[in-house]
Amino acid sequence: MGLMPEFVLDYVSVNTYWTILFIVHALLAVALLGALTHQAASVLMPVRVGAGTGGFVTRFRAVHGASYAAAVSVLWIVTFVFGAWIYTKYRMYVRIPIEQAGYWKTQGVFELKEHYATIGMGLLPIYWFFWRNTRDPQYDSARKWLTVVLCAMCWFIFLTGHVVNNVRGFGS
Amino acid sequence: MSTAAQTQSGTAIPLARSATFRTFALVFGIATPVLYVIADMMNWPLFTYHPGTNRVDLGWAAAVKDEGPAMYWYGWSATTLLGAAVLGGLATLLPERVTSRIPLWLVWVLPIAVLPVLIYSLKFFWRW
Repeated sequence: MGLMPEFVLDYVSVNTYWTILFIVHALLAVALLGALTHQAASVLMPVRVGAGTGGFVTRFRAVHGASYAAAVSVLWIVTFVFGAWIYTKYRMYVRIPIEQAGYWKTQGVFELKEHYATIGMGLLPIYWFFWRNTRDPQYDSARKWLTVVLCAMCWFIFLTGHVVNNVRGFGS
Repeated sequence: MSTAAQTQSGTAIPLARSATFRTFALVFGIATPVLYVIADMMNWPLFTYHPGTNRVDLGWAAAVKDEGPAMYWYGWSATTLLGAAVLGGLATLLPERVTSRIPLWLVWVLPIAVLPVLIYSLKFFWRW
């Protein structure tokens, strides 16, 4: 069960359909995580003008943070939509076995992940606004810490999804 | 700005220069964690989804015997985002001298502040 259009079964099996959706969700999450981590590094450890090219860490944090804002916003929304989509399958075929196996804390952390995915959605408009106004110093502190909080949320959400997939992933 | 990484100027996108949008987005961001906790703790989903039968009920509905579980997260999210949008919209009606005083730090402090409440709301799962 879960949200799956019937015509899809003319082309792929049920397992293939959900696996494709999950892989797309995971790849989008990787892109989001990378973008947000670069951006958070750029606000936490900004590279001074004239610091030179530096090594890997310097180049990692020397990104132009503002150019990531729109991509991060779009990626969060699209990843959220795919996650919400596969959640219909998860609730029936992953969560129930996880509970039957007694992995209560794993499921509890997953619930927290879904809470923060929604909260993150609500933060996107002001996050985008802050990053579109980088010359206005009144937003510097809020932009910095909101980016760091979103990045921390993204890492938590990503790692929880990864762990849950290890516990009861596709093919199990 | 004193850094190479943050030298972008403002933008040509009108929305990004709009004080009305700033107020809406700020209040939307502040309201989201608060409303989400309320929707979760009070169990106020806008709708309930039954994945076993693909049925949707308005508001909260119990799982139906032999039809699988009921899902409330979609409904909590809808309650939250709709409520936050309404509050954000209402805030744009306030004079700018009021909205300009809304603390910006609330947008990043509140998501952290609600963490203990959300963990407590999940106490059912913390079994050893």
